[in-house]
Amino acid sequence: MAFGARARMVNPRLGTYFSIFAALFTALFLLILIFEQLRLDEHLLKVVFFAGPIVIYAAIGLSVASNDTLNYFASGRRVPALYTGVLLATCSLGGTFLVAGTGAFFFAGFDALVLMLGTLTGFVVMAIVLAPFYRKFGAFTVPSYLGRRFESRPLRIITAVVAAVPMLLVLSAELRMGAGVAGRLITASPNMIVALLALSVAVSTASGGMRSFTWVGVAQSIAVFLALLGVATTVSVIVTSLPIPQLANGPMVRSLVHNEVREGLQVVNVWPLAFQLPGEGFAALTKPYTQPFGTIGPLAFVLGTFAIATGISTAPWLLPRVAATPSVYEARKALGWATVFSGLAILTISSVAVFMRDFALDTVMSERLGPLPKWLFDAATAHLVAFDPSAARLGFDGLKFDRDGVLFALPVATGLPMAFAYVLIAGTLAAALVTASATTVSLAAVLCEDVVQGLSWEPAPAQSRVWIMRGFVIIVAVCGALLTIMAPTDPLQLVLWALSITGASLFPVMILSIWWKRLTSVGAIIGVATGFAAAALAIFLSESGTLNVPSPIAGVLGLPISLALALSTSLLRPVRTRHTLEVVRDIRVPGGEIIYDREMQRLQLRKHVST
Amino acid sequence: MIERKERKPYWRHTKWQVLASLIPFLAIVVVLPLYSQQLNSSRFLGFPLGYFLAAHGFFVIAVVTVASYVNRQNAIDHWHGAHEDM
Repeated sequence: MAFGARARMVNPRLGTYFSIFAALFTALFLLILIFEQLRLDEHLLKVVFFAGPIVIYAAIGLSVASNDTLNYFASGRRVPALYTGVLLATCSLGGTFLVAGTGAFFFAGFDALVLMLGTLTGFVVMAIVLAPFYRKFGAFTVPSYLGRRFESRPLRIITAVVAAVPMLLVLSAELRMGAGVAGRLITASPNMIVALLALSVAVSTASGGMRSFTWVGVAQSIAVFLALLGVATTVSVIVTSLPIPQLANGPMVRSLVHNEVREGLQVVNVWPLAFQLPGEGFAALTKPYTQPFGTIGPLAFVLGTFAIATGISTAPWLLPRVAATPSVYEARKALGWATVFSGLAILTISSVAVFMRDFALDTVMSERLGPLPKWLFDAATAHLVAFDPSAARLGFDGLKFDRDGVLFALPVATGLPMAFAYVLIAGTLAAALVTASATTVSLAAVLCEDVVQGLSWEPAPAQSRVWIMRGFVIIVAVCGALLTIMAPTDPLQLVLWALSITGASLFPVMILSIWWKRLTSVGAIIGVATGFAAAALAIFLSESGTLNVPSPIAGVLGLPISLALALSTSLLRPVRTRHTLEVVRDIRVPGGEIIYDREMQRLQLRKHVST
Repeated sequence: MIERKERKPYWRHTKWQVLASLIPFLAIVVVLPLYSQQLNSSRFLGFPLGYFLAAHGFFVIAVVTVASYVNRQNAIDHWHGAHEDM
């Protein structure tokens, strides 16, 4: 109650501001569309579509600069549910799930639903068992939460180190994906683009920390959804004359079921633990769209769902978003919105995949009757499709699609002007930037709060706290760019590794810290450390071929080990302190003060008295 | 602020609500994809039913689960006086 209602008041003009941004983004698209029809230089238009939005993002980020601690680390706790929800949804998907996910749906069909089931389950679990309690506690980072909850500095530092690894992996994946996408708009070397994107992330988030990130991220999320839903709806109106792409593709799925097998796609059977989502680069279609378990086995499907779900629900780059909502009730609602938006986005990309499958099927079927369709040559010049024009008969084998180009091939295949492809590229670039900024800011906060100042509970003076964090934002952006340039890896693979490492190391301890009073700090340390070690070891063994489980789901095998050790250590050596019991009791009740703020104030008071 | 003697009943009530929301949902997550092969022989809106339920159906189930949980839990908070005073 000491932290007055004034600080938590929601800005009533938010809707106006973001409507202006949406109008700007739409206007940019319409202008480019008009200039394209007027035959203006294509390269200039592309550069404008790359640079225009990035300049706007940087302007938003710089305009909400702040030196206040609560603003800098938790957006002043005044981000309403809807905005937090849309931000959580785009952060969890990122450019990787949107671009590579479309490719995964296109190649693997039904099996790519593992991404959707995993993400949605993650948000449902987060909404029900984690988010409201994390908001009541109100810590700025996940390691601070665990450290304060168990009153253990070693736990805080170990969690910080463990949480840094998946965040770096995701940052690197998003920068690589963003660079790949942006490379379709501007001609520069990939390393140059990675550096440019890292710079853009640093500029738009360093000045206001979490506050800048929040409002820039909301603008970027609006760009993502405008681009994705706009283009998919336009295509849906043209192809099916219904403006609901997610539902209108039913008849096309039916034609896929009827014709794909007849045209030479065989039903594939794999062993139950196979997990072969398509890799980077060009590949031909191999299995019918609706056939379940042709690339991912049934057991791997369930394991993969839980690997993604546990990772999303305790992701240290998503949970701090929840601490920025104005109340516990708003935190619950925010997770509801996150479920809605992420599900909507994934259903839309699955419909994009169905439309593209239908175009591919048409090509293969019409080949006997006449010349190849014109869009195929356009797509080939844009490096989205590869085929041999001199071959007598193409078939599904001769038609190779780029996994990361399927999404952008849709407007080309429909015969829409190139501006539609550019707006999709700008939208997915925004998605990559959202997740890259989310990981950068969260990782910088972890390093600043829990590593540098990890040995003392008393917070440093507000000014130095903010400036240390600013330094770390820049350091993390540079490290992410260097990692991306030096160790290029398939982004989808990286994100799946990061999620399963997070799930194995943090999920059991996070859940138990709220739902099981008897968990001790030693148990939590052992749980986090062994979960991380087991997951990393399993992924390493799987990559080197020793362990016969595919690496994207191998990490989650560390989860039961971590859970068992955390439980048994706590039962064997029970320790109870009054203070931690009080904290748990307090976390469980939504009403009352924010625990983290209260403790920080108490520490400051004590310091004041002692000096 | 919640009264001291209300804490236990409040937490019991909350626990039951969480179990009631989470267990059916997790059961669906595991079971639904495994039965999609059999369901695919039927049609709905042109979609094979198994695919439709695993994609669109699951989306609706997830949203309804969260929405009903938020609604119920809010009511529980108010019932026991554990809600925030805004």
